[in-house]
Amino acid sequence: MSSVICDAAVGSSNINRLKAWWLYRMLKTPNPLRERLTLAWHNHFATSNIKVQDVGMMRRQNDSLREHSAGRFEYLLRSMAHDPAVLVWLDADANRKEHPNENLAREIMELFTLGVGNYSEEDIKEAARALTGWTVKQGDFLNVAKRHDAGEKTIFGQTGKWNGDDFVTLLLEHSATPRRIAFRVCELLMGESTCEDSLVEELAVGLVEHDLDIGWAIETVLRSEAFFAAGNIRNRVLSPVEFIVGLIRCLEINSPLPSTLLLAETTANLGQDLFNPPNVFGWPGGRSWLTSRAIIGRANFASALINGELHSSRTPFDAAVLAERHNVGAEKLLPQVLLGSELPTGMKPLKKEPNQLVTAVLSSPEAFLG
Amino acid sequence: MPLNSTRRHFLRQSSLIAMAPAIPAFLRPAAHASAKNNDERILVVVQLDGGNDGINTVVPFANDGYPQHRKELQLKTNRLAKVNDEVALHRSLRPLADLLDDVQFSIVQGVGYPNPNRSHDVSMAIWQTARFDRDDHKSFGWLGRAMDEHREANASGAADSVLLGTESPPVALRGRRSTSVSLAHLGDLKLRGKLTPKTPNVDPNDDLLAFARRASLDARGTAALIDEVAGSASRDGAPYPDTQLAGRLSSIAQLIKSGFSTRVYYAIQSGYDTHAGQLPSHSRLLNELGGALKAFQDDLNSAGLSDRILTLCFSEFGRRAAENASLGTDHGTAGPVFVMGSKATPTSPTRVTKAVFCGVSGQKFPLHLLLDYF
Repeated sequence: MSSVICDAAVGSSNINRLKAWWLYRMLKTPNPLRERLTLAWHNHFATSNIKVQDVGMMRRQNDSLREHSAGRFEYLLRSMAHDPAVLVWLDADANRKEHPNENLAREIMELFTLGVGNYSEEDIKEAARALTGWTVKQGDFLNVAKRHDAGEKTIFGQTGKWNGDDFVTLLLEHSATPRRIAFRVCELLMGESTCEDSLVEELAVGLVEHDLDIGWAIETVLRSEAFFAAGNIRNRVLSPVEFIVGLIRCLEINSPLPSTLLLAETTANLGQDLFNPPNVFGWPGGRSWLTSRAIIGRANFASALINGELHSSRTPFDAAVLAERHNVGAEKLLPQVLLGSELPTGMKPLKKEPNQLVTAVLSSPEAFLG
Repeated sequence: MPLNSTRRHFLRQSSLIAMAPAIPAFLRPAAHASAKNNDERILVVVQLDGGNDGINTVVPFANDGYPQHRKELQLKTNRLAKVNDEVALHRSLRPLADLLDDVQFSIVQGVGYPNPNRSHDVSMAIWQTARFDRDDHKSFGWLGRAMDEHREANASGAADSVLLGTESPPVALRGRRSTSVSLAHLGDLKLRGKLTPKTPNVDPNDDLLAFARRASLDARGTAALIDEVAGSASRDGAPYPDTQLAGRLSSIAQLIKSGFSTRVYYAIQSGYDTHAGQLPSHSRLLNELGGALKAFQDDLNSAGLSDRILTLCFSEFGRRAAENASLGTDHGTAGPVFVMGSKATPTSPTRVTKAVFCGVSGQKFPLHLLLDYF
């Protein structure tokens, strides 16, 4: 079903339909972690269709991100270095022997692997030369030999007749790369101050021993004491996509699902427009999700969802039915499921109005955190 | 009551101000503004979609060519709003003539680009990207790029640019690093119903939750602020006509007055693609434009903000001098640009400048103006 929707979205050339497809996938998948990882890598290799303007390319990138999301970082990085959407986004086609364009070289180091401070301006210039010749033709990666600068380059102090793939190898061997992957994994799974530097460092060392296996890093964090520590509970701001997908899954609003096109519009209004990250840095995330507009938007979304306004049938959510399904009173089920705690005193007067209570719980600051 | 003082009043009243060091992103610039004069300049762009007929907008009534080329579409001289002995504004733009007298309005004649392409898409893309090469047209816009340069100045968390309207965000606003949001209307910032329960006391050991609670309080403050400013706008003598463009400009004015640190606002008025039966539709469009611009400027003036705000009004191209056979005009090349605001003398102290073309680079007009302005 998911692939039918996806093919139709690509066929329509309408990026909004691809957004809706991905949300459908997140809502229905038996493997939510993989979708979260895919989203995290979409943020890491932040590519925007605003410039790419090709739904098919965005879908292929999304598939690659998913395929390699929990495998060895080498496969993920190599697939992104050859990814048509990335190359269009970072002006690879403008990088020719005579006039090197440094954008891809710069961002691959700053954002995809090493991070600022681990390379010089000279490294950027030389890496740009190594990357000359890479371009996109009719939607596919193409290496144009006559545009490639075949001379010697010195990158990170190592000299050779490096080409783009050699440069990627140098990046994979660089000590800053595992640290950055470790940081990304911790950022994804841990709360904002739970993730101590020593933990990131330890994870980075382990990553080197495990051939930069992302799956290993994820598993290690998920089994760690830190992950289960009290301080890691409700210590992360949920992104709009996590908030929306999480709520719908949690409230079991799945047959029928709300309109995923409307959901895609909502995530965009709340600050996370899929396939259109705001810039090369991806979404800034964390506390910056909680702008006034987004908080009002989250509360308004909760209200619309509970009132059934996101369904074509306009059927309101029935809190009583969900509570009955789980054999608990609504006043207990909801705060426990959504907040992991007792009902705050201020909400007690709403006990007799289950749907209002749900809306209030969903609009509360506690519901924005995970 | 000037709206500035509404904002100060709100901030003084607000318990949020008591949380000074921890004051959340949205109110920080507003609090700052209330503490001392905020001198950041703001650009408002009004895009006239469809290629406005410049010749019947800023009418060269004294030119012999005018009655020759415009036999059917000629505007009656006695009903025009004269600018000088040569040109006059279409009568529907009469409200703007007052602003001309106050030197708050400037007409830049004949703005275009070399070797004009008369396609709507291509012309608009050139305007929006300030670049000629088609390959550059799907990337970043001139405002987005300019905002990229000013990124550090806007660390408050507000978007760098805001489109007020339901249109797709224009290429002009796209930046690589800067951010842009679209608001269909201020309702996007309004809370449906109430966040009924009061938030419980903040646990000092729970930093992120404390932040989230404070941010929620702040959001309620924002909703209340928008309501308050919206409510007072109708009371304080800056009435807007009941048109779509006026509504959008009114919303922009409210956002500015509410203290948002956004530097660029954008609104689009469509319908200028007048190839047939042009006179009545063009008159209606300019009527909407003139009324909206005048109300907006009056509003900013009464809020004491006009020094900080410049409004730029452009269309992708003008129309040919000669009318066509169906009482309309066909795609032409250059056209007039309006610049409004008490600092609205971007190119020349004279209020009407002739033939200021973009220049060979194609970037001179818009970028030059903007960079000078910021």
